[in-house]
Amino acid sequence: MSNFSFIDGSIAGLYLLIVVVIGVLVRRYVSRVDQFLLAGRELNVFLGIASLAACEFGIVTCMYAAQNGYEKGFAGVTPGILLALAMFVVGKTGFCIKPLRNAGVLTIPELFEKQFGGRVRWMSGVVIVLGGLLNMGVFLRTGGDFLVTVCGINPEYLEITMTLLLLGIGLYTVMGGMISVLITDYLQFIVLSLGLLIVSVMIFASVGWDRLVETVQATHGAGGFNPFVNPDMGVAYVLFNAVVALAVVLTWQTMIQRVLASKSSRAGQRIYTGTSPFFVARFLLPALWGIAALATLPAGEVTGSTMLAMPKFLSTFVPPVVMGIVVAAMLAADMSTDASYMLTWGGVIYNDIMRPFRKAEWPQKKGLVWNRSIVAMIGVFLLLYGLWYPLRGDLWTYLTVTGSIYLSSISVLLIACSYWKRANNWGATSAITLGAIMPVSYLVLEQIPETAPFARGAIGPYVWGILSYAAAALAMVAGTLLKPARRRLEGTA
Amino acid sequence: MMEGFWLFLTLGTLIWYVVLLGYVAVRGARDIREMLKGISAQSPEQKGE
Repeated sequence: MSNFSFIDGSIAGLYLLIVVVIGVLVRRYVSRVDQFLLAGRELNVFLGIASLAACEFGIVTCMYAAQNGYEKGFAGVTPGILLALAMFVVGKTGFCIKPLRNAGVLTIPELFEKQFGGRVRWMSGVVIVLGGLLNMGVFLRTGGDFLVTVCGINPEYLEITMTLLLLGIGLYTVMGGMISVLITDYLQFIVLSLGLLIVSVMIFASVGWDRLVETVQATHGAGGFNPFVNPDMGVAYVLFNAVVALAVVLTWQTMIQRVLASKSSRAGQRIYTGTSPFFVARFLLPALWGIAALATLPAGEVTGSTMLAMPKFLSTFVPPVVMGIVVAAMLAADMSTDASYMLTWGGVIYNDIMRPFRKAEWPQKKGLVWNRSIVAMIGVFLLLYGLWYPLRGDLWTYLTVTGSIYLSSISVLLIACSYWKRANNWGATSAITLGAIMPVSYLVLEQIPETAPFARGAIGPYVWGILSYAAAALAMVAGTLLKPARRRLEGTA
Repeated sequence: MMEGFWLFLTLGTLIWYVVLLGYVAVRGARDIREMLKGISAQSPEQKGE
């Protein structure tokens, strides 16, 4: 029985309404495509931090981070620490993001066109969108699962809950684009932070630190504190997540769009360094919730996916009224994430994939209509894909593997484009092709019963993932060097 | 040893988060005002992809 009451529902519903109304009201500021996609490049540091933190914390984040805590103990926070380190270093040095922002482009593939030609720009757009859509495809289902479990709603209403939520998010994203997203992100950052902090402090006070540590020790042993000695993690897990972390902060659409929307490259770098510690909190606090679920839920309570352990724990642990704040916080988290994902990946579809179909420049009005239509179509895709894709294995691994479809190649291309003048379109094309084939083949092998033991057991997602990045880098070098010198001199495209 | 590390990290994260929340709540609102002012000031002639 959930502690979710009518008052809690009213708090969450009111919050939802306020956010949608504010998001829709700012639509009058949008009259150009760059305002829709990048808020006219007027983003400053603190709004950037709020927005980046809010969009990078969705219900899906909370669910996989808590699942990591439940299944791996404190060691499950490792990806968050690696992400924070990567973001801090990139923000401090400006590695890749400085030349990218200074180039004045709308998207990463647009930068690639300058060195690798129009075909590479188009191919990059395709893999970025493919990886991004597969990745965000599970967000709605996961968010719905959380809300249904925490609020004690009948599972039959999961689809309708998801649809209504998406309609609200879609409405303000379609109307106000990045301007709506940034302003609603600010509100959502405050609300989701309050929810995260309140529940975490309550766990400290009620469950207690000692009990959390004892539970991890009893369930996972030393592997619950140290990823290198955890039998499910080890060196390959840490190495894979380190590589993914660097690739994510360099090329993940929702992150990089904040850099591109910032007032200057300096502001973009400061947004990165300022947000970097949040990535520890983003994994650590939900992991505490997962560990608390492990410590307090009776044996046999968690049947099926361990992902639902944390929401089951919250449904009885959090008292009424506070529950309303927590649900509003999770709604806030989900709204900011979904809105940003739809907008930023939609931007790549318009700016790069549709580029060959726009022989002449389109009027701004027509561009806006297309961008809004693309965001709406991504919303429909999220709804359909979220309903029928059966998630196997753990959520974090699915997200990293699908993300790697483009993370591996696009990060290699971005580094080469920024720092290797000799890199050419042969290398870029090879890197994109190999970088996409490797993760997709893993997903296929994992779904076929005959090959699943080989994919999951013999090789495993982490080694496979590392090989994807290595293959993309090698393909870039080999392709570049193999291009005949005469053709290199003639041009890159 | 490792337990101490996680306790230190957890407490440090909570304290940092509370400070950031207060700071961003105030300065972020100012950034929103400036952003909207800047967008309003962008001339229609700048239009163009």
